[in-house]
Amino acid sequence: MSRQPLVSRRTLLRGMGALMALPLLEGMRPGVARGAPAPAPRRFAVFYTPCGIHMPKWTPTGVGPTWSLTPTLASLAPVKDDVLVLSGLDNLPGKPDGDGHHAAATSAFLSCVKALKTQGANIRTGISMDQVMANALGKATRFPSLELGIDQGKGIGNCDSGYACPYANNIAWAGPSTPVPKETTPRAAFERLFADFDPDATQAELAKRRAYGLSIIDAVRGDAKALEGRLGTTDRRKLDEYFTGVRELELRVNAMEGAGPACGAVAAPVDTMDVREKTKAMMDLIVLAFQCDLTRTCTFMLGNARSERVYSFLGLSGEHHAYSHHQKAQANYDALAKIDKWEVEQYAYLLQRMKGVQEGESTLLDNSAVYFSSEVADGNMHEHKNLPILLAGRAGGALSPGRHVQYGDVPLANLYISLLNMFGVPVSTFGDGTGPLTGLAG
Amino acid sequence: MGLGLAVLLLAGCDASLPWARVLPGPEAPNPGNGPVDPLDTLCRSESRDPGRVTLHRLNRAEYDNTVRDLLGDTSAPARDFPPDDHGFGFDNNADVLSMSPLLMEKYSHAAEQLVETAWANGTLRTCELDAAAPEACARTLLRTFARRAWRRPVSEQEVASLVGFVALARQHGDAPEVGVKLALRSVLVSPHFLFRVELDPVSASKAPHPISDLELASRLSYFLWSSMPDEALLAAAEGGRLRDPAVLEAQVRRMLADPKARALVDNFAGQWLYTRALDFSQPEARYGFDEPLRQAMREETKLLFQEFIIGDHRLKDLLDAPFTYVNDRLATHYGLPPVGTDAMTRVSLEGHPERAGLFGKGALLTVTANADRTSPVKRGVWVLEQLLCKGPPPPPPNAGGLAPAVDPTLNIKERMRQHRADPTCAGCHTLMDPLGFGLENFDPVGRWRVKEEGGAAVDSSGELPGGKVFNGVVEMRAVVKQDPDLSACMTRHLLSYALGRGAESADRCNVHDISQQAESQGGRLTDYILAIVRSDAFQQRGGEAEGPTP
Repeated sequence: MSRQPLVSRRTLLRGMGALMALPLLEGMRPGVARGAPAPAPRRFAVFYTPCGIHMPKWTPTGVGPTWSLTPTLASLAPVKDDVLVLSGLDNLPGKPDGDGHHAAATSAFLSCVKALKTQGANIRTGISMDQVMANALGKATRFPSLELGIDQGKGIGNCDSGYACPYANNIAWAGPSTPVPKETTPRAAFERLFADFDPDATQAELAKRRAYGLSIIDAVRGDAKALEGRLGTTDRRKLDEYFTGVRELELRVNAMEGAGPACGAVAAPVDTMDVREKTKAMMDLIVLAFQCDLTRTCTFMLGNARSERVYSFLGLSGEHHAYSHHQKAQANYDALAKIDKWEVEQYAYLLQRMKGVQEGESTLLDNSAVYFSSEVADGNMHEHKNLPILLAGRAGGALSPGRHVQYGDVPLANLYISLLNMFGVPVSTFGDGTGPLTGLAG
Repeated sequence: MGLGLAVLLLAGCDASLPWARVLPGPEAPNPGNGPVDPLDTLCRSESRDPGRVTLHRLNRAEYDNTVRDLLGDTSAPARDFPPDDHGFGFDNNADVLSMSPLLMEKYSHAAEQLVETAWANGTLRTCELDAAAPEACARTLLRTFARRAWRRPVSEQEVASLVGFVALARQHGDAPEVGVKLALRSVLVSPHFLFRVELDPVSASKAPHPISDLELASRLSYFLWSSMPDEALLAAAEGGRLRDPAVLEAQVRRMLADPKARALVDNFAGQWLYTRALDFSQPEARYGFDEPLRQAMREETKLLFQEFIIGDHRLKDLLDAPFTYVNDRLATHYGLPPVGTDAMTRVSLEGHPERAGLFGKGALLTVTANADRTSPVKRGVWVLEQLLCKGPPPPPPNAGGLAPAVDPTLNIKERMRQHRADPTCAGCHTLMDPLGFGLENFDPVGRWRVKEEGGAAVDSSGELPGGKVFNGVVEMRAVVKQDPDLSACMTRHLLSYALGRGAESADRCNVHDISQQAESQGGRLTDYILAIVRSDAFQQRGGEAEGPTP
């Protein structure tokens, strides 16, 4: 909304590695409410990786606090005591009708609801747990939730065997038929995070900008309302999404502020095609968004479902999805293990960055739960049971990490029920869940 | 086509299908025209449902083109929007184009930026905003702009509410232009701009109804230009002349001759022919694939298709067109004589029949290969899905990509025998693999080869269900070109794109009519486009059971 300053800031940020010094205001520090000190807020992040995991090199042998890092998990060494490995959780709603495992399981990844097999107008899965959380916690921050990812998608062909592309490309769902799209360029995501701040504006100027912004919102909402009565059911569903967008925009305009958040000096990311740099930039953005308390819920997709990424920098020439159909060939196992290891390294980087952010007596990681998983376990069989799951951080004391916990035939949704409860959302059911998951608090 | 596909999906590539419906064999009763199509009879009696296009949000390409034509802004602001999903092979599928808070934010910021830039350039200042009495000019200016942006005349009430922003600015002590700019921004964030609105008649009914002339104008312009109607089209629609067949045809021909029709190359062909995926191809370093080569391949396919938009070629000739466009780099890559320039140059392929048509194009051959080896399956599936609409179901669990060569003396065809030996695989692979084998003389980046990398001689012969045998790409593409389903399949893809909704089995007779009409008119891309534009599917809209409430 604040146009001129935004332009100049954008110009500034275009420079390679430009450093932006944001004003540091004690009163805006997360965890330090204006006036009295309050506990730091809890944050939740999701790290999705496609095509499953080669489980023999993933699963630790020991159970409880005595587990040892496996080859795939080796990079977690510096944060081993901050991580829970959870084995034996199943997401059976991810099973498709016939084929389409990757898309079906990806749309069920955080919803634990079976997707309706369709390519068309009647897309239906369930609201995802991060969005349930965002609905409950989101009002406290500028952004109820943040959705990030790496892949734009090639935009050709079928996505997965008769399952519409939104199922394959989104883990965050605001409602059963409303995917929440993700930002796939770090620079655009960064600009969005800091777009509405104008440190030079006076209070009067800000008030006027708010009034103008709100007047536009009133006008277009009026347009949409006039239209609503003249549309059929399917069209009205699209218009409902528009109304939701307008409502969120209104919140954003109302929250328009002068000074930026208190995050110190921040380097703006530069757009790149290199997946290594791009992933690192996205990890940094998650830390930044949490550190500045711009959001408390964030999901990240390292790739879209059925990813055909070629990991040439790992010395691999085949596509990820092709390797995942390993046919029990050792060469494919080896390739998968390399890819998995790299994926966990990115997650480990995120955890270490979060552990490096001090929040009073604790760290950002202590105040967070950071979830890592894939839509399936073994990619060859499209296994929806015994999923590869990591959960890091202490969630402000609700989690007791540093252990390998072995479950058996327990719905993944139970973990989500527990996580939601931990974050103050009092649900007792979710997806196919039967109740909270025991054993997370130690 | 519709039947063939439905059967295949149900049967899962049952190899016992009557072969004549799969591919024509030597005993086909009427080899020139293919066997009698059972749809001929069916569609004589079956009624046509025009279907219903969902409220269509502009996708990123449409947004960028629209602001280009509306404001002269070529900054492509949608580059920073989140990616659009695609459905039925195209990212203009209204059902999967959802709206979201993130997008609303992007629209809001883009609108502000666009209006400021356009205002600074003077593009929109068609009259002088008098500081004391700005309303008259504001009214003119906003009515003109909103009519173009919303692609329809605006009501007095709508104009009045836009002009209200001038008073709001005055209340805050700002000049009239501040208010006008706010109004312009609201026009660009309004659902009337962001969506292509098609209203139902007030009486709720399931019966199909003709869409309005203005809605038809938008369908036309977004089909052919991925952009808003221009003044000539809008004027024809407002004057009620657009449904006059001569006017409609003249408009289509005029629009196709306009450079804006390049959108068909980027958005239709780019997705139909998979050219867009070339941006993401990462062939192994040993193939010497680099950015100039990528660029040349992309341009080649675009220029080839471009000729089909206005040229006199039959659409089916895409499969064996005896010309192409190369620069020195691409010519060398293909083993053609150099053209003496870095610029893409049209060359005849008279002496190089293997390069003729789509199957000799580096872009297609690269995107349908693995990074380190060819994939007869991917290439075969592409032919089946994109040209014949006989896409096979995906492999069963536990099936997978071919393991790296264990015995390099065996060629890929030998190694793939396993597909056809295993009965769970054979049904589909007897269809997919041979078509891909026909392209085995092209390496993973489309270079001609007679030996595989392991040293084995390439075997590009194939046998299709029914016993039809071919040897090499030239014979393979002749088989595909003669397939009776080719025309209907091309129609099906083009119709899905034209409407922004998937052409499904309920559309089989629509597709059948269009393809027959197009072929009878000469079979050019223009004939297909005109047949689509004249169809009920394009000009009408089905009702919905639960209609609008008054």
